[in-house]
Amino acid sequence: MPILDIRHLVKEYGGLRANDDISFTLEKGELLGVIGPNGAGKTTLFNCIAGLHPVTSGRIFFDGQDVTLKPAHEMARLGLARTFQVYTAAGDLTVVENIMVGCFLRTRSRKDARRRADGILYDLKLSDHADTLVSELPVPAQKQVTMATALGTAPRMLLLDEVAAGLNPSEIDDIMTSIRHIHNEMGITVMLIEHVMELVMNVCDRLVVLDYGHKIADGTPADIAANAEVIKAYLGERYVKEHAGELS
Amino acid sequence: MEALRNAFDFSDSPRVDLVIAAMVAVALLLFPLFSPSSFAIATIIQFFIFALYGMGWNTIGGYGGQVDLGKAQYVGIGAYTTAVMLIRWDIPFWVSMPIGMFFSITWSFIIGYPLFRLKGHYFAIATIATSLVLKDLFEIWDFVGAARGLEISPIKYSPPDFLRLIFKQDIYYYYVIFGFFLLGILIINWFRRSRLGFQLRAIKDNEDVARSLGINVHLSKVKTYAIATAFVSMVGSFHACYIKNIEPEDTMSLDISILIALMAMLGGAGSLWGPIIGAGVLIPLKSYLKEWLGARGGLVGIDLIIYAAIIMVISAREPRGIWGIVERVRRRKRL
Ligand SMILES: Nc1ncnc2c1ncn2[C@@H]1O[C@H](COP(=O)(O)OP(=O)(O)OP(=O)(O)O)[C@@H](O)[C@H]1O
Ligand SMILES: [Mg+2]
Repeated sequence: MPILDIRHLVKEYGGLRANDDISFTLEKGELLGVIGPNGAGKTTLFNCIAGLHPVTSGRIFFDGQDVTLKPAHEMARLGLARTFQVYTAAGDLTVVENIMVGCFLRTRSRKDARRRADGILYDLKLSDHADTLVSELPVPAQKQVTMATALGTAPRMLLLDEVAAGLNPSEIDDIMTSIRHIHNEMGITVMLIEHVMELVMNVCDRLVVLDYGHKIADGTPADIAANAEVIKAYLGERYVKEHAGELS
Repeated sequence: MEALRNAFDFSDSPRVDLVIAAMVAVALLLFPLFSPSSFAIATIIQFFIFALYGMGWNTIGGYGGQVDLGKAQYVGIGAYTTAVMLIRWDIPFWVSMPIGMFFSITWSFIIGYPLFRLKGHYFAIATIATSLVLKDLFEIWDFVGAARGLEISPIKYSPPDFLRLIFKQDIYYYYVIFGFFLLGILIINWFRRSRLGFQLRAIKDNEDVARSLGINVHLSKVKTYAIATAFVSMVGSFHACYIKNIEPEDTMSLDISILIALMAMLGGAGSLWGPIIGAGVLIPLKSYLKEWLGARGGLVGIDLIIYAAIIMVISAREPRGIWGIVERVRRRKRL
């Protein structure tokens, strides 16, 4: 049984169809990338899955259960966590307090929440920053904190919305390490939106491509890089030529 | 059990804060022994009262960022419950106070449930409106004395009456409210370290993110509003026994609601000590201004202008109030 099953999902904002008849499934343990040009509807897809915005039509199943119009806080309880594209983390709270907010989903006890948060800090190599205010951290560390906070909710599936945007190559390496750790060591199914092709092509098992709200392709990174429609809509000829060697 | 331990656990506050707090507490404890003027005692009682109102406000308004300008309605419910029960049925304070809290919390659910669907400024305005409506109702409701209000006449009792909280000397009231004040600090310390406190801080920061972390934003707000309400109602009950003369215009006026919010914001919304500092600054200022202006009839109203000026300066320079300044200076020193 797939962990996520999306059937004919449509999301309209006013007259605009941000998601138009999108269907795909995701198996437990997969690491799926969602790519596509700006405004293609990637974040909208996450907002629908996570229950933040109600879908216009279509169905969403999570772990076999119909969750189509479930509110976001119930989705979190079911084991779905996410990060936000533009949002970092609560600046007024320290790093460990941010993560504790997530941990409090599964416990009432402060001690328990603190213990879990410390474990996640350790896993993501953030322990040194535990008592720093998030607003005082550099942006790359803030991105790690948003992932850590989402992990605090003990999810089975994690949605990451452009966690590598604006990072330099060595910071991207760190993020990739964290994503692999979350996927391989923690055993969490991951779906990520990313424009940084290096990350997408290196860590994802499979890619879904959106354009103008439609799904235009679905396949392995190598398939996608060779897909004429995707090249035309998003990747561009130059990308394919430059990376011809790496992908085959 | 863990909740109780958390209430007494101040280990995340810097030691100097705790030393200063303990010194202030001891000073307040011993102060009446130095035969101060009754004016000074009355001023400090007002400080305790407003510090407690501010602490209650701070849960939803400070930690939760939901600016509430209608706290006077709960002062009214608490005060009227205690006064009516005492006058009509001779029910003692320690019974009527929890009943008043029950009424207040019930009312807070009735209005909080729809009001928390509103955002930001609309919420603030709606709290003003419900408070004014309740005040108007009390003004025409004969059972509670309508606009004349209610009077607890002390000659019917034999003070000091600890059950009914009827005393001749203010010193008794001083120590009773001092006890509430210490209890209030413990409750807020529990709150800010509790799951609910963390949830409210996350909500203040960003509601969509809070939702995605599994927080039922609406329910958390309604629950916290009830806590804030319970605080205010409890002190409202005390106020009735202390002042002995309550009427809608004094007890439930918009001024009270605004003063509560103003004080907490001046001291520092969303911090443990902020509302106490705010009350510590504004209440003496208010008392002395009133006394000083009392002799100069033409200047009535100038106190309001002074408050407005204070709040403007604070919000322009440091929106997190006096406590925000303290924290900023501290951080700069550390770096
Ligand atoms: N809350 C909203 N209200 C109205 N329109 C919206 C809303 N969210 C997204 N849209 C519109 O839906 C379309 C898809 O937006 P979306 O944010 O999903 O794109 P995206 O693929 O995430 O783009 P990017 O790569 O720039 O993040 C855009 O035209 C956008 O303006
Ligand atoms: Mg997006």
